[in-house]
This record gives sequence, structure tokens and C-alpha cells, in this order.
Amino acid sequence: MQSIKKNFFEFFELSESYDLDIEELSERYHELQKEFHPDKNFSETEAEKMRSVQLASFANEAYETLRSPLKRAAYILTIRGYDAELVDQSDLGMDLLIEQMRLRETLEELPKDESAFPDLEKLKKEVKEKLRTKQSNFALDAREENFVNAKKTFHELQFLYKLMLEIEENEELRLDY
Amino acid sequence: MALLKISEPGKRQSAINTKPAVGIDLGTTNSLISSGYRGNIEVLADTSGQFLLPSVVRYGKGVRPIVGWMAKEAAIGDPQNTVSSIKRLLGRGTSEVENMPQFEQYTFDASRDEGAPAIITEAGVKDPIQVSADILSELLSRAHDYIGEDIEGAVITVPAYFNDAQRQQTKEAANLIGLPVLRLLNEPTAAAIAYGLDSKEEGNVIVYDLGGGTFDVSLLCLKKGVFEVLATGGDTALGGDDFDYILSNWIAKQVYSDENPILEERGRLIAYANSVKHHLSLHESADLEFNNWRGSLNRKEFLEMCEPLVKKTINTCRRVLRDASLSVEQIDNIVMVGGSTRMPIVRQALESYFGRAPLAAIDPDKVVAMGAGIQAEVLAGNKSDNDFLLLDVNPLSLGIETMGELVEKIIPRNTTIPVAKAQEFTTFKDGQTSMIIHVVQGERELVSDCRSLARFELGGIPKMVAGAAKIRVTFQVDADGLLSVVAQELSTLKMSEIQVKPSFGLDAKAIEEMLRSSHQNAELDMELRAIKEAQIEGRQLIDAINSAREIDGDLLDELGHNHLDNLMHELSENISNGTIEEIREATERLNRVSSDFAASRMDLHIGHALKGEAIDNIDR
Repeated sequence: MQSIKKNFFEFFELSESYDLDIEELSERYHELQKEFHPDKNFSETEAEKMRSVQLASFANEAYETLRSPLKRAAYILTIRGYDAELVDQSDLGMDLLIEQMRLRETLEELPKDESAFPDLEKLKKEVKEKLRTKQSNFALDAREENFVNAKKTFHELQFLYKLMLEIEENEELRLDY
Repeated sequence: MALLKISEPGKRQSAINTKPAVGIDLGTTNSLISSGYRGNIEVLADTSGQFLLPSVVRYGKGVRPIVGWMAKEAAIGDPQNTVSSIKRLLGRGTSEVENMPQFEQYTFDASRDEGAPAIITEAGVKDPIQVSADILSELLSRAHDYIGEDIEGAVITVPAYFNDAQRQQTKEAANLIGLPVLRLLNEPTAAAIAYGLDSKEEGNVIVYDLGGGTFDVSLLCLKKGVFEVLATGGDTALGGDDFDYILSNWIAKQVYSDENPILEERGRLIAYANSVKHHLSLHESADLEFNNWRGSLNRKEFLEMCEPLVKKTINTCRRVLRDASLSVEQIDNIVMVGGSTRMPIVRQALESYFGRAPLAAIDPDKVVAMGAGIQAEVLAGNKSDNDFLLLDVNPLSLGIETMGELVEKIIPRNTTIPVAKAQEFTTFKDGQTSMIIHVVQGERELVSDCRSLARFELGGIPKMVAGAAKIRVTFQVDADGLLSVVAQELSTLKMSEIQVKPSFGLDAKAIEEMLRSSHQNAELDMELRAIKEAQIEGRQLIDAINSAREIDGDLLDELGHNHLDNLMHELSENISNGTIEEIREATERLNRVSSDFAASRMDLHIGHALKGEAIDNIDR
């Protein structure tokens, strides 16, 4: 029987790891939802219905957290007793800050209309590449249980995700919405 | 345990269950019905071989209502008694109809100020439920000819954005003619079912639905019988009609010197433009003739004319992909729904954006009805192997009002439901004993730009200094999209809760409008938010000084009081009328001057504490 007291990895019966097989995760999620989802539990008692909603909600939250590379990293830090939200200035190296400034300047200098789309795509690709590298760094740190390093890498990931979000917002501003 | 029935050779193969079921696509312009027939799901045609039934009903005196093609033809000669586009009125209030020009020709029953708008016809007063029921009844009689009178029930499709009231009234229309509703199914899901389960496709699917007057995009992930809605988007005021309109303007420009021919020519022009559009879907070019004018038009020219419209739909796809964090390469299939997707210019635009050809195996007019038919078979127990589950999302963000009329989002749009999310809030003033929880829906940052869903009060908060109390607000959305909100003070565990219907009264148009304005105003919102925050900070400082003066006012001489009064007055003036810089500067000045007062209070209270006075007495 599934319990909402378990941590998200246990809930999906997956071993705790940053290198998660997303295919496997989504398969487990679908299997569990086929069991818990209120649409699959029609004629139950009120208490059972409530439990079905709670389990389905918990499954959704767990899935949403583990599926996202950033949320998954924060979650691993949290269950290991590190406060992912607390940023220690010493965690952020000078190189990182200089690179962030360069990337941001590139973004700001792009033309403010649709002609910027190819360059936005290019910038996105560059950031994606960096994200991929940092993600494998985090996976390595986590595997070696070096969570102090992992936390630094997590903050670097945060910067890159924030930048990605801004690139996408920039894209949106240039659409006719 | 159910016993398996063994059918005799040659008899109907699908005899697992006893009764057939039907799938109905109850559309704004056209409706269709499908059923398991001769072992397959088929869309059923009328006696003249037509699959589409125009969703038009003519109410003549003393005769049965006429539904479909004949009614559509009559609409020109008898507009007052011929009702079309009734789907747009489902779930609406009488007052909402005033802003809908396409219903101008009808006389609405003025005696109903509340509730559904009802049209006065020669055959009596007809509300949207009755008109929808008449359309359903015509479809059902078509099914009777194929599969007999004894029908288990129907799956009826509705737009994904349909709110609770609109869904409820769709059900009531079926109840009115005694047709059991097995399920209301979202249209994009039905389309995906038609393709997904029939051909066993798996992967990420874009459902691109361009109908006569509306446009919807849904991104679904299909896997082993689970349909996960990843994101949705659309435009309720964009459809095939807009292409007709643009083309008719172009023709008018050729025929007349300006684009505005007299009104009766307008109707003819649009009908002509529509036929030209259809011709261009089948041929590279069209020879044109209107009144005494002759000309020609090819596809390329037509594409140039309509490019802004097509681009708009592609941009919506782009945004939906963004919401789901997917790139075009990750899309495995594009399903086309709606007659307007027959236009080659639409198909080409989709193909060039997604880098793959859209699926075209099923007629885009029939695909929703097909999916409904398949789902009907499943629910009636005729197809037990196709056991699928739909994981849907909430279309708009849900949040709560915080200080300064700002919105704190608690459940962002496109979150899979059911879902429960909690966030902690605190009190704004010293000794605050109650808190108003104002629940809002929308993407904007200011409460006034979002839709208010509910407001309730959490009382009995123990008196504490501002910021000390902890109130946890939990939002829960169930699988039907119904929201309940619970607020709980964490030291006393006192609770207050409310149930709201998040989409009630919020129609697709309003959702569209709110999404659109949220994008246009993203920057404006940031500025407004900054100014609001400065105002809050200023007001908090004034409140803090006032409550400190009540207690320790005797620490200040008259000059000190006057000085504070002046600065506080200056600050409140700026809070009401000043710029953000002015507010910040005034706050800073007041802060500096009051800090001496604060320091002397501190000395006094430490002195008291050292003398052994109870801490409680320090902060009365």
C-alpha cells in the first residue's frame, strides 16, 4: 500500500539518484495514477474517495518535483538536510558571475522584435549545453555524497534556469501576445 | 464477476455488452454523432449521406422544430425564428448576451433577468438547453435508424475550457430528451483518442483545433493508455470565419472602390469568399466573378493575405510548448481538428513549424465525434481492453490576495489535477486577530486584474506582533476542477475553509482575455508591483510609529512630535500621489528621524526589563 509519508523516491519505488530515468519515473507515475486517480475509483465510500484524491495529489506533486531537474536537485538536498533556499555568497565563484553577466548582456542587446528569434535560439542552446554539464556535475556530487559541492552546483543550476526563463520571457515578449 | 457472452457466428461481434452507445460532437456550427456499428466506430450520415448536421434550429408556429441544413437555409429568410451558434449561450447569464453581436437579430425574453437567456420564437420561448436538446434529438433519431432505439447512453464532447455551468447545461440538454450522459469529454482529448487508441500511437501530441470561430491548442502526452494534458492555449475569437472576412475585404476592394459595400452585399460577399476559400483548398488558383467584376487569386496570394492569422496560431503553439518545457523536436504527432485545418496554408505552416506533416488520416470534421464514439464504447463496456485514464490540468493560475492588492500564485496554470498546495502567510498589523482570505484566478500580478473567486475570513488568531502569526493556506483542486481552500492558524490550529468552483462564470473568452492581458502587461505589472511594495513599506512604517507613539509618546517632546507628524504627512501624501522614488525618499527620511525615537524606546524597555518588570507589560 502506498503511503504519503514516504519520500518521493520511495513513493515511486525508485532509488534516490539525480540521474533518474525519466521514462521509468513517468511509467511508475502512470501505473500509480491508474490505481489512485479518482476516475478509477468511482463507487467507493467518502473516506476512500478522499484517500484517492490525496494519493493522486501526492503522486502529482511527487512527479512534478522529480521530473524537473532543478526541483529534483533541491529535493535531494532537502532530504539530505541541506537548506536549498539558503544561498551562501561563498558558494558563488567569480567565474560564474562573470559568465552570467556576459550571457545576460548578450540577451539584453538583442533586437526587440521577431528578428531576434534565431539569436535567442542560439543563446538557448548555449545555456542548455551548460545546464547539461552542471546537471552531470550535480549527479556526480550526489553519487559521491559530496553535498557541500552539490549545493554549490545547485546554485549554479539556479542561475542558469533563471536565465533560461528570461530567454523564454524574451521570446514571449516578441510574440504577438 | 461478469460472465462472458459468447456470440454466435455471424452475429454482431461486439456483443460483450447488450446495448450500443453513441459519441456526440455538439459543435457551435456543426454537430455529429458516431457509434459502434458493423464492428467499427463510424460517424453516422443522414439519409442523403451528409455527416455534418448544422447546429441550427428553426422554430415555426405549430410545427416541430426543423434542425440542420433546412434550418440553415431558412436562416436568411427568417432570422428571428432560426437559432444558430447556441453553444455560445450555454451557461451564460442574460446580461452577457448584450455584448454578443451575433445574437442581435433575436428577441430575448426580458422577463428573465436572472438565469439563462431565452429567445422568443413563433413556437414559444427557447432557452439554450432546449435548443441544444433539439439538436441532440435530431442526432439521436439518426442513430436510431442505424442501431435501434435501445441506447446505453452518450459521450458528449465539450471544449476543454468549458466551465462548470456550461458543462452542467450540456448535461441538462441530454437529460431533457432522456439521453443518459456517460461522460462529458474534452474535445482535444477526444481527438487524441481517435488517433491514439485506433492506431496505438504513443508520444507527445499537439491537437490543433481551428474551427469556424474558435481556436484551441492542447499538448497531450500519450502513453500506455494514459492521456496526460501537458498544457493548453487558444483564442476564442479566431477561426475560419476570419479567413472569410479577410478574403471578402480583399474582393470588396477589387469590386468597389472601398472595402465597405452596403450591408446586404456584405453577407453575399462573405458567402462568396467562403466558397473561394474552399475552392483554394482543392485547387492552386481560383477564377473569381462577383457582380460584374472578374479576376483571379492563387494560393500564394491567399496565404499572404492570411499570414497574420496563421502566424497567430503558430505563436499559440509556441507558447503551449513553452508552458510544457518541450521543444518542437519532441512533438511526435500533430492532430488536426476542425474544417479550417483543410486549408493547405494552415497545414503548410504547421508542417514548417513542427518539421513534420500533421496527421491527416481522419477527416478533421469527424475526428472529435470518432473519439467520443470510442470512449462511449469503453464506458458502455463494449471495449474493455482499452482502459485509459485522462490526467487533466487547470487552465488558469489560482492564488491569494496579499498585502497591497498583490496576487501570490499558489497553483500555477497547467498544473496536473488533482493537486494540493500550501503556502504560509503572516499578519500585517500588530494584534491582528483575523484575516481575510481572498481567492483569485488569473495570470496578472494585481488582484483587480484577476477574477475574484471567493472571499472568507479566518478569525480567532491570537494577538501577536505583525509577522509573528503563521497562517497556512492550502489550495486543493479535485479531479473535476473544483477548488477548495483551507486556512489554518498554526499555533491554535484554528481552521476556516471554503469550496469554490474555479471556472464558474469564467468563459473561454474571459480566460483568453486574461491570458492575453497578462502577457501584454508583464512589464507594467512589474512597475506596479514595485510601487505597491514601496507603498506598503511606507504604510507599515507609519503604522509602526503610530503604535509606538501610543505607548511611549512621552519620550518625545513637542518638537519631536511635530517633526514626525510632518514627515508622516509628507509620506502619506506621497503614498497616495507620488512616484516610486518620492515614496522611497520620504520613507527613508521618516526612517532616519524616527530611528532616534526607536533607540530611546529600546533603552527605556531594556531598563524596565532589567528592573524586573514583566515582559508582557512592555508591549501592552
